[in-house]
Amino acid sequence: MRLAKRSRARLPRGEGAGAWLAAGSVALSLLALLALLSLLAIRGLGHFWPASIALVALDDGRQLAGEQVREVPLPDGTGRERLYRIGNRDLDGTRWAWVPVSAIAAVSHPPELMVLERHRWGEAIGRLVAVESETGERLEGQAARAALENRMTELASLRQARDTLRDEVVLPRVQALQEGVDVERQLATANARLRELQAAMQAGHLTLETASGERWQVPLDQILRVRYPNAMSPLDKLVVWGEGVWRFLSEGPRAANTAGGVWPAIFGTVLMVMLMSILVTPFGVLAAIYLNEVAHQGRLTRLVRIAVRNLAGVPSIVYGVFGLGVFVYGIGGSLDEWFFDAALPSPTFGTGGLLWASLTLALLTLPVVIVATEEGLARIPDQQREGALALGATRLEMLTRVVLPMATPAMLTGVILAVARAAGEVAPLMLVGVAKLAPQVPVDGDFPFLHLERKFMHLGYHIFDAAFHGGDVQAAMPLVYATALLLVLVILVLNLTAIFLRHHLSTRHGALSRR
Amino acid sequence: MPDSLPPSPVRRRLRQGRDRLATVLVTAGGIGVIAALLAIGVFLAVEVVPLFWSGGDTQTVSPRALWSPLEAEDDLAGYRWDPTATLGTEEPARVSLVPLAWGTLEAAAWALLIAVPLALGAAAHSALFMSPRLRSRLKPTLELMEALPGVVIGFVAGLVLAPWLERHLADGLAMLVLLVPGLLLAGALWSRLPPRLQQALPLGWAGLWLLPWLLLVLAVALWLSPWLEAWAFGGDLRQWLEVRLGLDLAVRNAIIVGMAMGFAVMPSVYSLAEDALSGVPRSLSEGAQALGATRWQTLWRVVLPAASPGVFAAVMIGAGRAVGETMIVLMASGNAALMTWNPLDGLRSLAATIAIELPEAGPDGLHYRLLLLAALLLFLFTFLVNTLAELVRTRLTRRYRRLGGGA
Repeated sequence: MRLAKRSRARLPRGEGAGAWLAAGSVALSLLALLALLSLLAIRGLGHFWPASIALVALDDGRQLAGEQVREVPLPDGTGRERLYRIGNRDLDGTRWAWVPVSAIAAVSHPPELMVLERHRWGEAIGRLVAVESETGERLEGQAARAALENRMTELASLRQARDTLRDEVVLPRVQALQEGVDVERQLATANARLRELQAAMQAGHLTLETASGERWQVPLDQILRVRYPNAMSPLDKLVVWGEGVWRFLSEGPRAANTAGGVWPAIFGTVLMVMLMSILVTPFGVLAAIYLNEVAHQGRLTRLVRIAVRNLAGVPSIVYGVFGLGVFVYGIGGSLDEWFFDAALPSPTFGTGGLLWASLTLALLTLPVVIVATEEGLARIPDQQREGALALGATRLEMLTRVVLPMATPAMLTGVILAVARAAGEVAPLMLVGVAKLAPQVPVDGDFPFLHLERKFMHLGYHIFDAAFHGGDVQAAMPLVYATALLLVLVILVLNLTAIFLRHHLSTRHGALSRR
Repeated sequence: MPDSLPPSPVRRRLRQGRDRLATVLVTAGGIGVIAALLAIGVFLAVEVVPLFWSGGDTQTVSPRALWSPLEAEDDLAGYRWDPTATLGTEEPARVSLVPLAWGTLEAAAWALLIAVPLALGAAAHSALFMSPRLRSRLKPTLELMEALPGVVIGFVAGLVLAPWLERHLADGLAMLVLLVPGLLLAGALWSRLPPRLQQALPLGWAGLWLLPWLLLVLAVALWLSPWLEAWAFGGDLRQWLEVRLGLDLAVRNAIIVGMAMGFAVMPSVYSLAEDALSGVPRSLSEGAQALGATRWQTLWRVVLPAASPGVFAAVMIGAGRAVGETMIVLMASGNAALMTWNPLDGLRSLAATIAIELPEAGPDGLHYRLLLLAALLLFLFTFLVNTLAELVRTRLTRRYRRLGGGA
């Protein structure tokens, strides 16, 4: 007691130590949140920035060219070492090089260094020596650069032509052939044209000189993009950055999910969440109306209400187990036996798929919707209901004309919260239908257009898979950061919408007293 | 009913029929939906039964195998979880759920150890000290923090934080050690500031203006850590731990899981605890302050005792979440089914085990039913904990109403 008095005398207007620790815990939480978000934002968006390529000359005369990734102290504490991303994986067997800083003689950034993005094997880094066309014509120096550029635009149009031909001519003909229509001749000509295009694309290659002086031939049709990062102005880099972000959002993954984009994952996530909200909204609202408006408000209803509330706290993986046992093995297995026995033993609905994933997540988010809607219903004063009934409305009319319109914002809040929760949930999906790679999105031109039995890709699972199951985690990291940032942004936007709606709701019904 | 428009009896019957039909439909639908929800527990229980008791043809597992160690070894290493290698072979089944339950509880304990002080501190600060404007902004911010998906937190913990901490163990320790003195120093310095500056940096906004100060403290800790490591641990903390305490360091360990899951659980504990603390009738705290108590004394002696059931409920809910969280443990723990007291070793939780093994275990096998048993355990634990918390909270609301507030 005496001690306490003395310390208070020393801190005249203070509150003592506890107050500062309490304030510090607020600051610490905010700091952790900020740190996490800025880490995701910087690493995720920084990945698309075309970094300059350093040409490193070592003390022993060797040279290497690459993008500096990071610099860390050596394990024995005698100095520092740098990690360079040197590409050329098919040539050197690795795309990384650790270099002790003390062994570096000189670092330069020559503008002629070139980065090739390729279909396979990641990027290639080096100097352009020559471009050879199919006729054996060899161009060097500036002429080679121009020829390469021409050839790239040519290749792009050839690829486009091939894709259109395949999608619009060949595939429909194949379909028709299976249905018994005689289009064999047309198909043969189309296939011949396709082979021609393919051959035209394969012609030509370029010779690359790596930093260590090796010469190396790269087929031109393997190359997706050519960049000279050291010669770019900041504005050029910004344009390339924007293109990179766009490709990330619009393309499919390549190279075992370590490169390319996440479009199928975005599509799968959004589609699954939409299906889920279509399923969860009517059922959740129905259950809430029953609990709050129809059921006798006794002890049993109160118990059920508490149970429903608690189900929101049951781990998501338990819902996943339920989904697997009941939906996939139970209902899906029976459906297969009744309707798809031709395809057995390979399962149609008896394995994880879009429908079962949406149903499982709908069940998972049902308590959220029920609780939110019930809160909205309870907020409506009884006078409103009594007024409607007194004017001669039946209970149905009272519900649909008076009560439900007033509870709409609460329902919306519930649905949006459910969507935000479902979009971030991964664990149950691992059991009921997510796939690490599903290039076919579950919607296409074939009847019945929406393929509920197909597996789908998901942003959250994409993060898990690329970060933990890929061969070269180091190479996948930037994409994982970008995917994580995307997922967080989607969820933040959904949550902000819910918060805004709730605010709107409380101001609108603020004047009404609770019953 | 206005007499100018007498309703035809047919129409009235139609309306009443429709109303009755709708009521029946709503009742049936509502009961159906709720039954489907509650079916989860029933399904798990029914599916688990054949594990112990079956008609004779299928294999069963004795309850002893689940809860007791192998006979050869009697210490902690005797509890083994290795169903894929031992089920269906001649060997005794190594299917003890004890190491998984251990891992689950260990992860949850570390998470709570980190989340509860942070959350309660933050709740106390925002209920009693924080300016209302900041408070109305802080709550949604922390709600957003709650919505961050586990897979993102797990990724950052497992692939960024864990390798960093492995290389910079001493830096991490220095940060932890200097955090509390740093905050106390901030308080001491603040009380020595001239009044004008004190007004510019009020305690109500301390949550914000302490941010740069915290960064400074952490930077000082980074700067001091080599010196600390040399002075206290002979230059290498990892070696010191290994030699002196016999603690091995796994890259992904219980501490990492605790930090990540603490981060994930903290907002929900905060939000419930803050509701409980700020729900205490104002008359109580105002009375205490009028009698000359500081706000901290008011909190400690009046508000906290009054709100203690609510705070307890908040911690329970946090525990429920921590026990069931899957992705964070899966990605940040290493998933080795070890039972050690070493917080720097890996662990494997029930939820993560289900997520890893269930897709591979075919339907209706022993392995499948074992994993369902694990799910049932999780379900029962969280359901009970949440029910307890809910009952306590209902009682608390009634108590506040009796105390004459309910603001």
